[in-house]
Amino acid sequence: MESAIFGQAIREYFRPKRFIPWIVLAFGCLGIAYIWDTLQNGATKLESYSQVSSIFVFHVLALASAIFTTAIISQEIEQKTIVYLLTRPVPRWKLLVLRYLASAIVVSVIGIIFACLSSVGAYHGFGSNPLLAKDCVALIVGAFAYGALFLIISLMFNRAMIICLLFAFGWETMVPNMPGQMYYLSIYSYLQGIAQHPSTGTNKLLALLTSSGGDNTLTAGMSYGVMAVFVAALIGLGAWWFTNFEYLPREDAE
Amino acid sequence: MVTATNVSRWYGQVIGLNDITCEIGPGITALLGMNGAGKTTLIRLITGQLRPTTGDLRVFGEEPFANANVYRRLGYCPEIDNFYEHYTGRAFVQFLARLDGLSSLEAKKRTEDVLDMVGMSERADRKIAGYSKGMRQRIKLAQAMLHNPEIILLDEPLNGLDPVGRREFIDVLGVLAEQGKAILVSSHILFEVEQMTRSLLLLHRGRLLATGDLGVIRSLIDKHPHQIRIETDEPRKAAALLASLPNIVSMEFDRLGESIQLEVREPDSFYDALAKAVLEQGLVIRGFSSPDNNLESVFKYLVEA
Repeated sequence: MESAIFGQAIREYFRPKRFIPWIVLAFGCLGIAYIWDTLQNGATKLESYSQVSSIFVFHVLALASAIFTTAIISQEIEQKTIVYLLTRPVPRWKLLVLRYLASAIVVSVIGIIFACLSSVGAYHGFGSNPLLAKDCVALIVGAFAYGALFLIISLMFNRAMIICLLFAFGWETMVPNMPGQMYYLSIYSYLQGIAQHPSTGTNKLLALLTSSGGDNTLTAGMSYGVMAVFVAALIGLGAWWFTNFEYLPREDAE
Repeated sequence: MVTATNVSRWYGQVIGLNDITCEIGPGITALLGMNGAGKTTLIRLITGQLRPTTGDLRVFGEEPFANANVYRRLGYCPEIDNFYEHYTGRAFVQFLARLDGLSSLEAKKRTEDVLDMVGMSERADRKIAGYSKGMRQRIKLAQAMLHNPEIILLDEPLNGLDPVGRREFIDVLGVLAEQGKAILVSSHILFEVEQMTRSLLLLHRGRLLATGDLGVIRSLIDKHPHQIRIETDEPRKAAALLASLPNIVSMEFDRLGESIQLEVREPDSFYDALAKAVLEQGLVIRGFSSPDNNLESVFKYLVEA
């Protein structure tokens, strides 16, 4: 039963119609990375990759997470297929967690593809990129963290996608750039704590674009710890919420 | 199998079900009511998609909301016409069979069994997006029977089926009922329900108006003068003929003089006599209708009673 739920979700998320657009976008990211050193006069390959990764790859990760995570439950409600899932002898928490895992894996794969192609673009080939491995780990952590947050949002609110996108492109862009300790409230800050991208130097605009304009001093260890607790707490809350509240096809929801 | 005690369900300030008390046991039970009567709400309460606002609802002695023990013994064919459209019928049913806890092999076998039962074996490899309404209904019924449930709930299952499909569908329900299963079928069409069962629950505006045997309700209806409209090219000749038939209470011509409006008691006897008159005395009838043969008039009679 578990393999059927997980397998169905994975197949659904990896459907060419859903997945191929992301691959096309990833090649777009490769192109941007390829010309980045021209746009940023004198940027090294490492700096080019780091900046493209911060500006594009991590934000694409949040976007992909918003799209795939809301499909876990919200899309089933919109499509009214939720009734087939909720009237089967599957504990609701299990249904939720397995589908969440599937979506987080797909988002991780998308993030890693973007990171790898950005690296190929920035290095103009398959050069050795010391940031890539850490970035991949940060992207996997990010896929699970954004997924957990967006899952809760999609369980609690109608039209969750709008809220998720506002978070991904509003909150996550602004909060890490704010002074003081506001960065503690942004998932992106913890992901940067894991990835440890080099500083953008004195270029304020670039600092804002890469969301490194704040006072982020998070270490990798602390970031892992906070993200682990964050994901566990939100998934636990989500499972409880989904088990105890009513979910009906959209037109019937009051 | 299903026991509801003083069950009410509110949607904000709107009441969906009002103080329902009933029991549903083996055999086919019809849940009859007009649109908005609360049929789907009751089915959703039984299938544990909703919780009662007040009252107690039990299925196999347990509260059904999100209860896997109940779902192991309950099959549900929803009214909604939505599927994973890019799936084939076979893949869709097989996926739900796996969710029912069947192993991959068992799921395949059981899928073939139920597809065969609903007459979809030959057409199940096409994508659901290309299915007709009738085929979709059959797939919904198939998925409801996958795990051989003891209770099957069917929400407006005959919608969209052609007459042959309806007959086959009703036959399948009959076979399942003979196996001792409890089948609850919701409908807003009295005629449809009469073909399936005599046992019914009659809902009106969220209230349970009547329960029991359809025959009792029919006889209650038949005690009231029944309105019948007959269209004919020879209204005066027809009127003279009709006046000699039994159980006529009143008769009047319409303004154009093209049809006759009758009130009759014991309509079944009247229909027999009318058929005889048409055959033996050559009465030509262009049209025939009875506005009382709809659910609204049933409710009117019951409320008046």
